[in-house]
Amino acid sequence: MTGSSAVARLDVRADACPMTWVKTRVALGRLAAGDRLEVLLSPGEAAESVPRSAAEDGHRVVALDDLGPREGVRLVLEKRDGGGAAWP
Amino acid sequence: MALTEEQVARFSRQLLVPGFGEAAQERLLAARVRVVGADGPATPALVALVQAGVGRIWVDDEGYVAPADRQGWLYPPGAVGSSRAARASEALSDFSRHSVVEAYPAGGVPDAALIFAGSAAQGIAMGEVARKGGIPHVVVEPDAEGGAIVSIPVGAPCFSCARSVSGVGRPPVPGIAGLSALAAAELLHILVQPAGMAGRRIDVVRGVPTTHPTVRLPGCACGQPVVPPSRDEGA
Repeated sequence: MTGSSAVARLDVRADACPMTWVKTRVALGRLAAGDRLEVLLSPGEAAESVPRSAAEDGHRVVALDDLGPREGVRLVLEKRDGGGAAWP
Repeated sequence: MALTEEQVARFSRQLLVPGFGEAAQERLLAARVRVVGADGPATPALVALVQAGVGRIWVDDEGYVAPADRQGWLYPPGAVGSSRAARASEALSDFSRHSVVEAYPAGGVPDAALIFAGSAAQGIAMGEVARKGGIPHVVVEPDAEGGAIVSIPVGAPCFSCARSVSGVGRPPVPGIAGLSALAAAELLHILVQPAGMAGRRIDVVRGVPTTHPTVRLPGCACGQPVVPPSRDEGA
């Protein structure tokens, strides 16, 4: 998958922290720089921590939409190259 | 090949480490590591390598479990007098089904080697075997409650250039687990980022690590290039 129009999808609404971010990070790792990842999250902790962790890892938060209490939250991320610090 | 859902869950904590990721985990799962020495001080490193998901670990130790080895993490009271390699392999196999642990097969060519030197001479000899085989390696020099770790990626100054020349070699005490685990971390680092790590030496004194880049001694043979053998060749 290449190009900024490509969108991969991931549903982690059944997962709890830290697996929500682990799965999101692994999914981002499978993409090329500029690709986008749509993540469905449960409302609450995951909807707060996953976008924050993604931003801290160097990726761009494109959208964060509340779909309602039953559907959860839709997060769209754009992968950036070289996200995160190097292993010391 | 991508990690399975189960592997993502199993290695989730280290998949969050900055600079690490799925590709790094795949490299670990595909790696073959030779660990020279399986006495008590080596056991925390063996556990760390299995827990990190190194795919195949070759335990290279022809000795027998001694009473002092029970200060390590692997050997129960009944193990004294039995083969270290066999007992370590048996105990480690219970830690993870993602790793195969077995006695070192003669001629096996690893991707990296972790050397717990029983003496300076052994450290030099085993380090040279690895260097001449083009195999990145880490040599541990226990010294009482601390010691030194010398990390030698391919092309870096050799163990002879970086080893201690005095003040080491006292029998290790049980608290050496920190040194042992740190040595395993250095080896994992070499496996995951072989091009991103320079040779270095870590001195651990009273639990405090100090890192220095290693320097090649003038005229040392380690400045000459080596031709690494194929993974499928004997060594």
